[in-house]
Amino acid sequence: MTVLRRLGLAFIGVLLAGILLFMYINSGAQQAASYIESRDLIRLLKQQDAIWDNEILKSRIALTHNYDPLVSPLHEMARLWQRLDAIEAEPGRHGPSLWEAQRDEYLKLVKEKTRLVEQFKSHNAVLRNSLAFLPTGEDDIQGQFARLPDTYRLELQNVAIDTYDLLLSSMEFAQLSSPDIAAEVLLGLNQLEVNKERLPEGLLNSVEVLRRHIGVILREQPKVNELLTGIEMVPLADRLDTITNLLEKDQAKAAAKYERNHVYLLVFATLLVLILIWLGIRLIRSFAEIKRVNNALQTANDELEQRVEERTRQLKDTQSELMDTARQAGMAEIATNVLHNVGNVLNSVNISADLVSRKLRSSKALGLGKAMQLINEHTDDLGHFLTEDAKGKLLPGYLNQLVEAIASEQQSLTDELAQLSKSVDHIKDIVATQQSYAGANSLLEPLVVSELLEDALRMNSGALTRHHVTVIKEYGDVPRIMGDKHRLLLILINLISNAKYAMAGVSNHARNMTLKADVVDGETLQISVKDEGEGIPEENMTRIFAHGFTTRKEGHGFGLHSCALAAIEMNGHLTAHSEGPGKGATFQLQVPLKLAEGEP
Amino acid sequence: MALHGLTLALGLLVGMSVAAHAAPLDEPLKPLPPIPTLDPKRVQLGLRLFNDPRLSVNNTLSCASCHRLDKGGADDKPFSLGFDGKPVEVNTPTVFNAGLNFHQFWDGRVDTLEEQVHIVVTSPAEMGSTWESVVKRIADDPGYAKDFNDAYPDGVTKPNIQGALADYERTLQTPNSRFDQYLLGNTDALTPREKFGYQRFKEYGCIACHQGVNIGGNMFQKFGIMGDYFVDRGNPTRADEGRFNITGDENDHQVFKVPSLRNVAVTAPYFHDGSAPTLERAVEVMFKYQLGREPLKNDTTLIVEFLKTLTGEWEGKPL
Ligand code: HEC
Ligand code: HEC
Repeated sequence: MTVLRRLGLAFIGVLLAGILLFMYINSGAQQAASYIESRDLIRLLKQQDAIWDNEILKSRIALTHNYDPLVSPLHEMARLWQRLDAIEAEPGRHGPSLWEAQRDEYLKLVKEKTRLVEQFKSHNAVLRNSLAFLPTGEDDIQGQFARLPDTYRLELQNVAIDTYDLLLSSMEFAQLSSPDIAAEVLLGLNQLEVNKERLPEGLLNSVEVLRRHIGVILREQPKVNELLTGIEMVPLADRLDTITNLLEKDQAKAAAKYERNHVYLLVFATLLVLILIWLGIRLIRSFAEIKRVNNALQTANDELEQRVEERTRQLKDTQSELMDTARQAGMAEIATNVLHNVGNVLNSVNISADLVSRKLRSSKALGLGKAMQLINEHTDDLGHFLTEDAKGKLLPGYLNQLVEAIASEQQSLTDELAQLSKSVDHIKDIVATQQSYAGANSLLEPLVVSELLEDALRMNSGALTRHHVTVIKEYGDVPRIMGDKHRLLLILINLISNAKYAMAGVSNHARNMTLKADVVDGETLQISVKDEGEGIPEENMTRIFAHGFTTRKEGHGFGLHSCALAAIEMNGHLTAHSEGPGKGATFQLQVPLKLAEGEP
Repeated sequence: MALHGLTLALGLLVGMSVAAHAAPLDEPLKPLPPIPTLDPKRVQLGLRLFNDPRLSVNNTLSCASCHRLDKGGADDKPFSLGFDGKPVEVNTPTVFNAGLNFHQFWDGRVDTLEEQVHIVVTSPAEMGSTWESVVKRIADDPGYAKDFNDAYPDGVTKPNIQGALADYERTLQTPNSRFDQYLLGNTDALTPREKFGYQRFKEYGCIACHQGVNIGGNMFQKFGIMGDYFVDRGNPTRADEGRFNITGDENDHQVFKVPSLRNVAVTAPYFHDGSAPTLERAVEVMFKYQLGREPLKNDTTLIVEFLKTLTGEWEGKPL
């Protein structure tokens, strides 16, 4: 809907702009300018035409003998006309074929006038020549007369007069070539023809020449006059006036159109401006709208953020709740495990105890009692009894056998008791783990790290000595800290016990375990347990901290997992490092250092 | 201003004759105008085309074959031979100063040099070619094609070939004839006899027809005003009808363009029919048929001597 409306508006805008452009192009400003130029060209054309006419007249009265000026205006006129035509032939300047008609007419007239002027030039030149010759010819004749013998001259007096008369009338004819004078000239010429008979040779020739020239005058003068009239009649100037009229009329039309266009232009321009203003208002409004929407969006965004924060917090809470739950669940699980293991171990404790009591019950030591009874009965004659009596003779052998039997019995009892104490150790381990969980939320307490480590070692001491593990202690200068004793102990006990197990298979070198404690960068407590045992293969590196992972037959697989969890709960972390199988491993615990009160 | 003073002082030093130099004479005959300045690239092309036989149908004739610039811009035959070896109808006029003639050809059938080129190239008697083949031959020549492209926006075309030739012809002027020097005020340029000759030329009325810048070439005239030249000569031909062949106007029988008399001394033979082998003969014919007069003894010679002062220079050398 709005798209349609906008498109419509854009269309109207473009349409108006187009109309304006079209009107501007058509506004006739150039037309007005070129009209002035055209008028100027016509004026120049008329001027050239007048110059042409003027030159014709000058030749006519023999003011000039140079005919170039009768040619040159034509070149100039052709040039001017070409320019005019170029302007006016443009489409749309005049009604259809109006200009073409004017052009044809003009060119026709120019051609006609040129033709007449050419003829005029030819005839006028000849006529002028003959006219110019008349006095010379007359002089010739008079000169010849003068040289004639007197008698002869008297006789020919009237011939001379006749010739002179003819000359005069010829000249008169040149001025006013009326039929009367023409008749007079003709008469004179005929007279000359008659007189010719009586003339002497030399004179005859001169008269003949004169006669021919007068003949030329008689022939050419009317011709020249006729041509002049013809030239005058060529309405070239009128045609130029007509063209001027046409231009004026069309210019007036163009001017009217121009004015009308102006009005339209004004109207359309106003419309366009109105649309633009309206659009401007729309634009400003839409700006406000956009701003409003933006603000709304902003607040919505802020709210959303808040809500997200809240949710996150809630989630966090839930998570820690869940963690607690999980831990409790974990504790239950561990408890199950612990109980199960304790159960198992107790089983073997039971068996061992049973074995020991049965062995004690059936002990060969009872035989010793019987032997002692025999000896007691024969206290008086003990020597005799031992050497003589049948029974007494057997007694030392019996006692010897008994000693052997009791020794082996004692050995097996000792072994069984060792097994029993091992089981009890195991139970202690398990219980210690459970204990560390039991107080999961225990408070931070001031701790001396070296003491903590010693505790951990002590808890493992039986096993360590049994496994012939040498403990190397590299405790740095660690101040008293505030720490979670249970968690730390859990981790340390586990790590130490793991190290011990890791070195169980080592027989080719000493079983060294290195314990290190340091403060790194003044803000981290770093404790590491390094063994020189079986090492961790690459593929297990990522899995060792997972719940249930173990490589040991009797392992329960929650040791490292719970250690890592505990480390995280203390805002620290537990990392493992191994160069690979057989190269030993290092476990490193890092927790933020919190100094105990009173520490620098 | 200072320069002006210097010339004046020099003039005074050298004397009156030089002082007279400053004032051109007002005569019916006019000195040549300056050679028009045209695009040198086009003029150069015109020069090459003018001497190029490829303009004729069988590659035999260039413009220069008939209009030999070393022979006064024409040749010395009454009738030049066309491409087919047959003589043409009329005597070859000079190309020198032809641009100043108001029409071209004896019968004045074209107005411009451009049209004239068209007529000559396609005339079955002269070069006998067609524009199609001329344009093709020129355009196929890489040298021409390049130069035409340099000189004209649209390269080798018929109008451009015409234009180049016409422009070249417009530069073919022969300035500095002794008579022009005289007209320009150097009255010592002519000997007294030559001045007499000029005076006779005027007096007898030769200037009625031969006047203006080109001393002719600005009007049509009947050949034989005072007597029937053609009856006296005999063997009238179609070409003798002159302008009548063009206009069909009864008044135009035997009417010809009055030829320019510049360089006339070096363009024998004379007349459209090449019938006058010498200038004397031509002047005599003029007296008899154009003037209808008998020249006094010696006047013909004087006039001929004057006519010889009309020979100008081409490329700095007298023709
Ligand atoms: C076969 C010889 C011949 C050749 C080639 C020739 N002309 Fe001509 N030219 C003539 C003749 C003959 C006339 C006179 C023709 C006439 O008046 O009808 C003439 C006339 C002219 C005229 C007119 C001169 C005047 O005063 O009226 C000009 C200009 C001219 N030629 C230029 C050229 C040019 C340019 C060329 C080359 C394109 C050329 N001619 C080639 C023989 C030749
Ligand atoms: C009435 C005009 C007229 C007069 C006057 C006239 N001439 Fe000519 N002249 C011509 C015409 C026309 C021709 C060309 C005739 C032709 O060859 O068809 C011509 C040709 C010539 C030629 C030959 C030019 C050439 O190149 O072939 C010469 C030379 C000449 N005139 C000299 C003179 C002299 C000198 C006079 C004066 C004694 C003179 N003319 C008077 C019209 C005139």
